[in-house]
Amino acid sequence: MIRNPTTASTERSRDAKRRKKKKTQEREDEKQPKWKSQAQQQIYSSKLRQALARVNNLGSASPKGKAVRQAADRVLAATAKGRTRWSRAILTNRLKLKFTKHKRQRVAATLPSRSKRARVSVHRLKGKGGAGVQRKVRFLGRLVPGCRKEPLPVVLEEAIDYIPALEMQVRAMNALFNLLSAASSSSSSS
Amino acid sequence: MLHCANTSGNLAGDMTVWERQRARMKWQEEQGYFSAFDALFSSSSSSSLHLQDSFLHPSDSGCALGEVVAQAQAQPRSMNKPSVHGFDASSSILRTFSCPPALVEPEPEPEPRPTGSSIGKESSKKRKPEKLHNAKFVTENDMKDKRIKVGADDEQSKITGSPKSHSNKRETCADTSNSKQNSKASEVQNQKPDYIHVRARRGQATDSHSLAERVRREKISERMKYLQDLVPGCNKITGKAGMLDEIINYVQSLQRQVEFLSMKLAAVNPRLDLSIDDLFEKEVFPCAANFPNIGMSSDLTNSGYVQFNSPQQMVSYGGLDTVINPPYMGLKRNVSVPETYLHSSSFTQLLPSSTWEGDFQNLCNLDFDQVRATSFPSHLSSGLVEAGNHLKMEM
Repeated sequence: MIRNPTTASTERSRDAKRRKKKKTQEREDEKQPKWKSQAQQQIYSSKLRQALARVNNLGSASPKGKAVRQAADRVLAATAKGRTRWSRAILTNRLKLKFTKHKRQRVAATLPSRSKRARVSVHRLKGKGGAGVQRKVRFLGRLVPGCRKEPLPVVLEEAIDYIPALEMQVRAMNALFNLLSAASSSSSSS
Repeated sequence: MLHCANTSGNLAGDMTVWERQRARMKWQEEQGYFSAFDALFSSSSSSSLHLQDSFLHPSDSGCALGEVVAQAQAQPRSMNKPSVHGFDASSSILRTFSCPPALVEPEPEPEPRPTGSSIGKESSKKRKPEKLHNAKFVTENDMKDKRIKVGADDEQSKITGSPKSHSNKRETCADTSNSKQNSKASEVQNQKPDYIHVRARRGQATDSHSLAERVRREKISERMKYLQDLVPGCNKITGKAGMLDEIINYVQSLQRQVEFLSMKLAAVNPRLDLSIDDLFEKEVFPCAANFPNIGMSSDLTNSGYVQFNSPQQMVSYGGLDTVINPPYMGLKRNVSVPETYLHSSSFTQLLPSSTWEGDFQNLCNLDFDQVRATSFPSHLSSGLVEAGNHLKMEM
């Protein structure tokens, strides 16, 4: 089963108590990580949990929601092993964020949630269907982190990897949320 | 060389000469050098004999030239230049043939003669890459073949560089067959390993621009098709614009979901620390008990729920409960096994279902007490591991 290797990896990751950029799971694909695999999701879930714990310990710097979202994106990018543009962009954004303080933090905080901004700005513009494919390409490039000015083939390729990663993220966060909420509710009730 | 099999060509064809030269050079690398030449030489027709004689003078390359000449004869080619030019071209070929660096030199000579220049470039082009399909183009007179050397290292071929350079030299000759000869001296410069050879299909324009454009379009369409499978509901949509719209919508919806979930997790998190500690101490994690049982797909709701209801399961997995507690603590705990359960396949099956949660709580409460009664000692970790292993086996 998948558990055995996962055990080892989670053991190590938990002992280290820090963000692991390297995967210890042998099951992982050498090439692009397969986002549909169970192993990937488990890896991501464990890392996400650690990150969440850390977020909790740090207290709420910004509203917790954004911090959680940024942590989730960061963990996702780390799980991607930096093989794709978007994962590298997310990680470098976080690095930039660490080096700058509040002002930059506010700006950078929105960068991971670039989609929000992009959505708003697009509505202010003519909408994505305004004119031509190029506009849509630019818009999609804004949605996918790190692909703002890339040409269409690059954006498509990044999207091909980014979409399964997002799907896996949603699945993992859902499961994690259910787990935590159930556990917390039971504990609180007890 | 294969093309020597072709017959009845006129020597005047510079293109044939160059093509043969190219093919020959390729061939040489792989096979014996002189044997074929001798064969070709012998097969040369009478009309080219005098040419061959002239070409025989130069040492080894003379044979090659002879072969080239023979091949030129063998293959009918629409050549712009009379045989004289062919000779000159052949001589240039000869020179280039002997030493690859010299390839660049002959180029300026034939410059005034477009075909000659093309020939020079062709030979130079031939020299470098091993991937060129020399044999093919010789036989395909009508085929409009064009070669673009692009790197094949990564998926993204850098075509833009080479086609542009190709196009620079290419203007001299008219399209189709001549375009092939308009290979560039840039080939010589394109030493980079990242070149993919592209071949224009029959009936397609062989202009370097159009070729590069075609490659780019094919890349894009291939990726669009892949995305069509990824994004649900895109089967009926054709066209880039519509597909892009769908993709944008899908990515936006996914990102919105992530945000929503992160908000929910943030709300749950404050309780996380408390619950983690409490749960860990009590070594109870009821929901974990269901994981092994829930062998369902992601659409689990009622079925898992039903399984959930059985308290016996809870008891049986009492060991598991403790195991599962620590995982979401994310703290330093010896018990790493619990995490595995969280990561179990059932993890993904815990898709959101609000009703499930509510009932779950009730069940958990019930079972919680039961499990509590059977609380394990602190050194349970080892035992838990065992239990976990058992469960793993079951799974």
